[in-house]
Amino acid sequence: MSRGLFVVALLVCGSEAVGIRPAGAQAAGGSFAQGIREYQNLDFGRAAATLRRDLAKLTAAGAPASERVEGLVYLGAADLFRGRRDSAVAVFKRLVQLDPRYAPDHLVFPPEVTSVFDSVRALTKTVAIVVPPDTQVAPGSSNFSALVLASSFQTVDVTLRYEDGAPFRSLYAGPIGDSLHVLWDGLDAAGQLPPVSRIVLRVASRAPTGEISTILQVPLDLRIQRPDSVDWPAPLPESALLPERAGGRSAVRALLGGIALSGAVVAIPSVVGGSGGPSGSRVAVAGTIGFAGVLGYLLHRPGRSLPANIRVNQTRREAWQQQVAGVTAENARRRAAVRLAVHAGPPSTIQPRAP
Amino acid sequence: MRRALLVASLSLAAGTLTGQTLAPTGVLTVGSTRVRSQSGQFSGAVVGGDGTLSFGRLELAVSYVQGKVDSVGASAAAGGGGHDLVEGSVLLGARPVSWLTIATGPHARSYTLTSGTQRWVFWELRARASGAFIGSAARGYVELWRALSADVNVPESFDHAQGGEAGMIIRFARAPLQARVAYRMDHTVLKSALGGTRLETVDGLMVGFGLDWH
Repeated sequence: MSRGLFVVALLVCGSEAVGIRPAGAQAAGGSFAQGIREYQNLDFGRAAATLRRDLAKLTAAGAPASERVEGLVYLGAADLFRGRRDSAVAVFKRLVQLDPRYAPDHLVFPPEVTSVFDSVRALTKTVAIVVPPDTQVAPGSSNFSALVLASSFQTVDVTLRYEDGAPFRSLYAGPIGDSLHVLWDGLDAAGQLPPVSRIVLRVASRAPTGEISTILQVPLDLRIQRPDSVDWPAPLPESALLPERAGGRSAVRALLGGIALSGAVVAIPSVVGGSGGPSGSRVAVAGTIGFAGVLGYLLHRPGRSLPANIRVNQTRREAWQQQVAGVTAENARRRAAVRLAVHAGPPSTIQPRAP
Repeated sequence: MRRALLVASLSLAAGTLTGQTLAPTGVLTVGSTRVRSQSGQFSGAVVGGDGTLSFGRLELAVSYVQGKVDSVGASAAAGGGGHDLVEGSVLLGARPVSWLTIATGPHARSYTLTSGTQRWVFWELRARASGAFIGSAARGYVELWRALSADVNVPESFDHAQGGEAGMIIRFARAPLQARVAYRMDHTVLKSALGGTRLETVDGLMVGFGLDWH
């Protein structure tokens, strides 16, 4: 491998982002004006050196892929015209990996270049992912969507994974020709909300042999937004319920009240100083009141069921249960209003090691 | 004295009149009355009625009974005949607390005797304590009174008089009705100019049934 090719390989391995190149970038000189001029002057050796130098600078500066693709296509063409086809193929392959949808301008580059580029693109199995930076998902009802763009016909596995690589949910596995829209409803494989705050959207491209050729992944930061739930109504305190069984108090009061009142009737002559002689009327009244007291004791005997209180308590319990049902319904409504905020990070590419 | 008592009763309840409603009761009563004095003993049945009109903590009570009492025991043997008995009272009361009523007013009683009609008029101060003792249906009450002054057309002069009543009132839950049973006793002491003492005791059973809009 020549020194120039090594630099390009470094560029390829060190680059990170995949994006869609803005149209018309091939026409502009930009960072590669000198190299392009040398290429147009057919000084391919110098052009290649200049372009490699400029690419190294941009890569070191962390320039996005869209700024580097122009230099790469001129570099590949220069290498091709210098008779270094392998180096040109490597540069074009890296270009395709950076931007799978890139195509050289046929008005700028001759068929020799575009045909080599097209063959490299056909053999390079890679994808790009287009995701909105921020998405609000109603789990289970609306979807997070991602657009997968393929460099060429291939088989891909689109999965969501935990940060440690463990599978979270499979979204698609199968062929892709040009592009693919994948959707995620915000739930895990069990239909539950994600238990973690970060997962990874991974697209693995498979070579025709079935081996994974490229893995592209996008980190997704998740944040579950739940409306506050309504507190349960406080349980009915015992003090809010009337006794459903008679206590002994009423019975004792009836009995003692009857005795005391009978005693008062009997004691009236002593109190007022009148003649305390025998009186049938006094005995009759005292006896009646005493009998009423005993009857009251029996009617209010301890443990007696109190239907009126039972009815009142039943009404209060039903009212409380209605409150609980209302809160349950309101909380269910609020649970359904849960939103999942998805923030997509920068994509990164993983190149499996060659066997 | 009488005016002072009336003014005191009115003042006690005057502050609680606002927002109150009238609560009348009217009761027909029948009963037996026994009159015992040193001149003889009489007993008989009486019939009458009483009513109260409550307004907040104020209460106006009116009662009237009449009947005929006959001589019993030694008096009957001596040939004593029957005598008409008429008795009534008008009392204005106030309730400083829910279980206590203080009332004052005139209480008159007359006997028609062969020698003429004896009229007794007492100005009384009464205190009644009452409270429910069988659920809220049955209320018991005890009432004591004392005469503040009296006007009696008998030869003896009035010394003092006091009395009491105790009974039970049953209020029906589903109708504005009440029934009552009570025992009452009045005791009067008169002094003769010769230094003797004349005692007059009236007691009796009262049974009533009537309307109650409490």
